[in-house]
Amino acid sequence: MSKRSNWSIPYVIFLVFFVVLPLILVMVYAFQDAQGKFTLGNLAKFFTDRDALSTFAVSIEVALENTGLCILLGYPAAWILANKQYNKSAVTIVLFIMPMWINALMRTLATAQLFTMLGVTLGKGTLLFGMVYDYLPFMIYPIYNVLSKMDKSYAEAAVDLGATPWRAFWKVTVPLSMPGVTSGILMVFMPTVSTFAISEFLTNNKIKLFGTIIQENINSSMWNYGAALAFVMLIIIGITTLFDKDKDEEVEGGLI
Amino acid sequence: MKRILISLAAVALLAGCSEDRSQILKVYNWSDYIDETAIEEFEQWYAEQTGEKVKVIYQTFDINETMLSKIEKGHEDYDVVCPSDYIIERMLQNDLLLPLNRDFGSTPNYIDDNLSPYIRACFDKMEGNGKNANDYAVGYMWGTTGILYNAKYVTDEEASTWDVIRNPKFADRIFIKDSARDVYSQIIMKVKERELADSTVTMDQLMNYTSDADITAVEDYMKQVKPLVAGWEADFGKDQMVQELGYVNLTWSGDGVWAIDEAAELGVELRYALPKEGFTVWFDGWVIPKYAQNTKAANYWINFMSRPDIVIRNVEETGYVSVSGAEEVRDAFTDEEYDPIDLSYFFTPADTAVCANPVLYPAKEDIERSTQEHDWGENTAKLIEMWSRVKGDNANAFTYIFIGLVVLALAAFAFYARASKNRRKKSRRRK
Amino acid sequence: MKKFFAKLYIWVLLVILYAPLVFIAVFSFTESKVLGSWEGFSPNLYRNLLTGQMQGNASLLAAVKNTLLIAVIAAAVSTLLGTVAAIGIHNMKGRAKKTVSFLNNIPMINPDIITGVSLFLLFVFLHFSQGYTTVILAHITFCTPYVVLSVLPKLQQMNPNIYEAALDLGATPAQALRKVLIPQLKPGMVSGFILAFTMSLDDFAVTFFTRGTIGLDTLSTYIYTDARKGGLTPELRPLMTLIFLVILILLIIINVRQDRLQKQNENR
Repeated sequence: MSKRSNWSIPYVIFLVFFVVLPLILVMVYAFQDAQGKFTLGNLAKFFTDRDALSTFAVSIEVALENTGLCILLGYPAAWILANKQYNKSAVTIVLFIMPMWINALMRTLATAQLFTMLGVTLGKGTLLFGMVYDYLPFMIYPIYNVLSKMDKSYAEAAVDLGATPWRAFWKVTVPLSMPGVTSGILMVFMPTVSTFAISEFLTNNKIKLFGTIIQENINSSMWNYGAALAFVMLIIIGITTLFDKDKDEEVEGGLI
Repeated sequence: MKRILISLAAVALLAGCSEDRSQILKVYNWSDYIDETAIEEFEQWYAEQTGEKVKVIYQTFDINETMLSKIEKGHEDYDVVCPSDYIIERMLQNDLLLPLNRDFGSTPNYIDDNLSPYIRACFDKMEGNGKNANDYAVGYMWGTTGILYNAKYVTDEEASTWDVIRNPKFADRIFIKDSARDVYSQIIMKVKERELADSTVTMDQLMNYTSDADITAVEDYMKQVKPLVAGWEADFGKDQMVQELGYVNLTWSGDGVWAIDEAAELGVELRYALPKEGFTVWFDGWVIPKYAQNTKAANYWINFMSRPDIVIRNVEETGYVSVSGAEEVRDAFTDEEYDPIDLSYFFTPADTAVCANPVLYPAKEDIERSTQEHDWGENTAKLIEMWSRVKGDNANAFTYIFIGLVVLALAAFAFYARASKNRRKKSRRRK
Repeated sequence: MKKFFAKLYIWVLLVILYAPLVFIAVFSFTESKVLGSWEGFSPNLYRNLLTGQMQGNASLLAAVKNTLLIAVIAAAVSTLLGTVAAIGIHNMKGRAKKTVSFLNNIPMINPDIITGVSLFLLFVFLHFSQGYTTVILAHITFCTPYVVLSVLPKLQQMNPNIYEAALDLGATPAQALRKVLIPQLKPGMVSGFILAFTMSLDDFAVTFFTRGTIGLDTLSTYIYTDARKGGLTPELRPLMTLIFLVILILLIIINVRQDRLQKQNENR
């Protein structure tokens, strides 16, 4: 029986080679100068580079706003969809997921074109709209998943025991659905910070996000600085996953 | 026995690896920058001329720096590449180029037969480690940087100065080419207008790094432009102009021609102006990098690219203007619909009245206001940083306050959640 | 009343979500170069797309072909690798199991750009010339974890004794694998394959960093380059509309079948 655990060996080797080694390389490049010598210069450059810092701040801002809007818009939608009283068919949730199968760049470009046709100037507002548009399904689905599997009797019991429906919702339903919200946040927040291309198309290149400067540096062969920026992002990912540690077991809740 | 097998395998492997490089030519060019049928034709032509077989491996890049790093850092064995003027200078400076061999035996030398004297003179001005660019590079396409504008909304007068991009009348209708060097080179001439007029400085001097103060002056100018800008375009500006979403576009002549033609079909009148303060011309040229493996075919490739009929096909396919001063090329692009202009500087001294498209071939009087860009060496980083300060730097007080508030709120929430959990635990324990 | 507003809210969201898709679909029936200008009804774009006679750019079809080819290979290899790995992981215990599961999670948590950049650096570091092979390897990297995650639950649901029983009854391990294990895991493998396939189809960032300079384009990178140049290839409109229709039909078939299965189960 225990011999079959060896079956994972090829995959472990694969993971080491294509996941662990590349991440180590990101760190190595981040702490090297162009000649391959050790340096802290790349990170120092980031913390003194006003453009990189402000791009970083803007990305965090947009990502927070996007995540917030996705929760605000997505939670009620997920709640309605999970509620048998309002929605009887599973088809509606499929309708929310289906646009994700169409190439994201193409959808984004069409959105941008729609805005220009309506005479809206491309900028911060259109960027946020486009981001919410792209990421809303990623928020709705995990919340829906948790809500629809949730035992409704808890909330009903709370109401029976004299709580107002509103209070029962806040004290029972919302806390129980938190795993769905967290995995939604995971799927919206970091990807927003790191998008490139989408932000450019939605603002005519006026606002760029953190992903774009990583891409620009890598593409103009400033690998070391690009790696340092990627390293900064890895640290933030590390922090966000630490936050999520308590609910580790539930992360798989999401996705299709 | 085992050892024999292993060594046999090794030999087989080695044979597999070392393909015969003298039968392969690796070309690395800008994307969409050639009539691709010419590639196969080169293979045939090369066989006819030399009796040798060659297979072209054609790869493309979108950014000069990508190409440069492949060669400089990756030591990739491209045989012939097509960088822009300032990159040719940098490659000369860093000893990355091999000199050209113009001895083609019985094959005609199309390079020297046709190269425009103007382009030759421009390449003479390119420097790098004391080497003359004409010995290492042959021009391919060239053009100018100017203002493309919509004649319905913008007057010729308004478009005759770089200040048109700072005109509040056209707020949210201005597109600027996302190219640090090109924007700097034009705007420094605007900023230094007075000094240029009284000859305390020349245009050529301004094209090199002059001082941090000059960079700041351009940065300040561009920061006034920024609130009016509808977008920093890599390549989509021409499209926005055709759709009349933009009225003013700081762009290249090649894009200008394309946009003017496209717009005309839709009944939109676009024009292209070369501002009075001065403007720059740019060139791309074929060079042979240091790590090239098949220099013979590379030289022949450059020669073939200079053959007038190939030139004409490439120009027709790409919309850019060739450096070729050949008669056939001149005749192919003259048309009675244009007014005659003085192109004696480009073709032959007799060509003082050629009916050519002035956007493609600027008249002599315009060219006198032009100069060419140069590599800044170590100071390039300053230019790039200035540009990212102009384009980026979008965070304002709200950004930081907002982030601060959210972080505070999250911390408070986490604290509250933990506290209430502990309380619950305690009360449970008490029971 | 409440119900009305709930329904209204859902429908408003859906209308907004679908507006750009409808926009593309509507303008796939006119021949204008620019998305958004109507130049009279014409099915010509569809004809161009299906006959391969584009208004200039034939590389779109090559990009579609590349996208499909890469997705099929990446999904097939990931399914194989992931299933074998899942069986292994399922039989692991303690710290080893935790470590492997953690490693398996990394590509899913990492944003695309990190996966892309890190693999780019790997290939640069190894002087691996980038092209089809590197793109496919990269796709396998981010697809396999999803296969593992879709197969693992099936292993947990399975009665471990069945496999042992088959062996006891005289089946060779290969027979037991083919006749017992695989059929049990098949639903997980299929959904893993589909997941991997769609992830690969939709990928942009990872492909962008690992495709090298040989001019290899998938649909995503094609659209990206095209859009940066301004003016999307008009034939993209009918292409997207057709893709959308295919997905719609597939989903309808799947849902109808599921409904029927459910009803059968209920009737039993």
